[in-house]
Amino acid sequence: MLNNYKFNTTLLRFFIYIVLIFLLILIVVPIWILIVNASRSTVEIQQGLSLIPSTNLINNYNVLENRGLNMVRGFTNSFYLAAASTLVTVYFSMLTAYGIVVYNFKGRQTFSNFILVLVMIPTQLTIIGFFQYMSRLGLTDNYAALILPLIANAGGVFFSKQYFESMLIQDLIDAARIDGASELKIFHTIMLPLAVPGAVTLGIFAFVGSWNNFFTPFILITSVEKYTLPMLVRSLRGDVYRTEYGAIYLGLAMTVIPVIIMYAIFSRYIVSGIAMGAVKE
Amino acid sequence: MKFTKINRNYYGYFFIAPFIIAFLVFGLYPLYNTLSLSLTDYTLMTRKGEYIGLQNFTVLFADQLFLKAIGNTWLIWLLNFIPQIGVALLLSAWFTNNRLKIKGVGIWRAIFYLPNLLIPVVIAALFNSFFSFYGPINQFMVRFGYQAEAVHYLQNVEITRAVVIFIQWWMWFGQTIIIVMAGMTSIPVHLYEAAMVDGASAAQMFRRITLPLLKPILIFIFVTSLVGGMQMFDIPYLLTDGRGAPSNSIMTNNILMYMKFASSRGHIGAASAVAVLTFIMTTICALGIFFVLRDKDDTVTNKPKRSWFKKSETK
Repeated sequence: MLNNYKFNTTLLRFFIYIVLIFLLILIVVPIWILIVNASRSTVEIQQGLSLIPSTNLINNYNVLENRGLNMVRGFTNSFYLAAASTLVTVYFSMLTAYGIVVYNFKGRQTFSNFILVLVMIPTQLTIIGFFQYMSRLGLTDNYAALILPLIANAGGVFFSKQYFESMLIQDLIDAARIDGASELKIFHTIMLPLAVPGAVTLGIFAFVGSWNNFFTPFILITSVEKYTLPMLVRSLRGDVYRTEYGAIYLGLAMTVIPVIIMYAIFSRYIVSGIAMGAVKE
Repeated sequence: MKFTKINRNYYGYFFIAPFIIAFLVFGLYPLYNTLSLSLTDYTLMTRKGEYIGLQNFTVLFADQLFLKAIGNTWLIWLLNFIPQIGVALLLSAWFTNNRLKIKGVGIWRAIFYLPNLLIPVVIAALFNSFFSFYGPINQFMVRFGYQAEAVHYLQNVEITRAVVIFIQWWMWFGQTIIIVMAGMTSIPVHLYEAAMVDGASAAQMFRRITLPLLKPILIFIFVTSLVGGMQMFDIPYLLTDGRGAPSNSIMTNNILMYMKFASSRGHIGAASAVAVLTFIMTTICALGIFFVLRDKDDTVTNKPKRSWFKKSETK
């Protein structure tokens, strides 16, 4: 009986590892083919599938550049936009969440529920009204239109609120008050530094969110000099590159590799951060 | 001490003021603006519009394309969400099982989550290359004899839709696993111990303990996924021609909205009407599900642990 039970467990474990390896292949193979094909020539790619990199990387890059796609500028733009978005999201989300957690003002619970409702509302759909409004203000084709709305980032506040509630902070605040620190100073010099781990996690999500965002910049940004990486990827699908498979794969790989490297470094923060957004410890 | 604390509570308003101002200016007003534009025939070319009542909406409801877009959006979302939650529940149950002791849980999870971080537009372009006439899928199928010759996969309605569903699943199941697992590990172990003493089977414990206690988290996943799914744009837009080809099989609400917006005259009145209808539909479903299904005493924001304890104590 006991042996039978052990045998079943071993069998099940074996089956589970097969499932896991199958899923692993599903995840890794497409990404690996993308990276490999970035280094192969168009002829090689058309001849057949390979999992071994080739030597055509520099040639592909030249094709990419010669046909007018400025990947370096796309990179710079995306990075600048993502960095600014991250700073604004992290600072203002923390500020708002701190206000909710620390002060027992009238309407606090209502405001807190309101944030949760905002998380569950499809805000992207107001883009048309937003676009027309920005064009009246002359703010289309301006990164400010992408960054300023992040001051009111409901998801960021929701996450920061969970984070502040998990820190025991009231005693520290009281101590600082006795020392005569102002409320804003307490937030800036005591609470923000203590909340760095949470800020890093939130910052990573804000950065990736902006880096991956296609729809809003696509609607709002019109001049080619301000195109972000996802917008350049759309150009890759155009007629100019129709048969240059190697260059297309390289262009795609160049957007993906920095994210993979970043993930390799920060994966622990990221994985624990996702859980924190939904579950409260 | 107490005096200073009460005295300072109004500072909360200063801390939340930037959020409220930014929300009014960049959140609420655009929503109002979208609503009022949807009642006009405003175009980007004329830069003005007359009030035309609900005409945009009556036109939409008579438009087969709009109804098809709504149907597609629901279909694509449902068919990726069901396997997503299924795989997440199964894998989380395996990962958290003490008897099975699966090795490297953290690494598996981390790898499964990776696709979620990649630019969706890039994934769409990548799968477009994979399924193209000279792409790797055709090469593989022909070389191993599954197909006599290369096929135009992305001209087939079912295959194209399946590819979109697969990509959505591929990008999101890792995130769902992480959230479900976090929920499972926060269920108190003594509940399972008690059930085991009473002779409950693994399946019974999963159904009677795990699922009910996971409910708040499952609802949260369901609602956030629904909201995201109803706004699906990047992947169907870049997988084919950006107009829902073949035969509008992957035309979604947002693609239709964008097509009206980017049409030669820029019919943003009509585009707003699409947005308003999608907005109403999604919000009613999302908030409805959230407020109807959740228990009165536990929301996602409340402490799940504490409410679980409370329940198990009183019962």
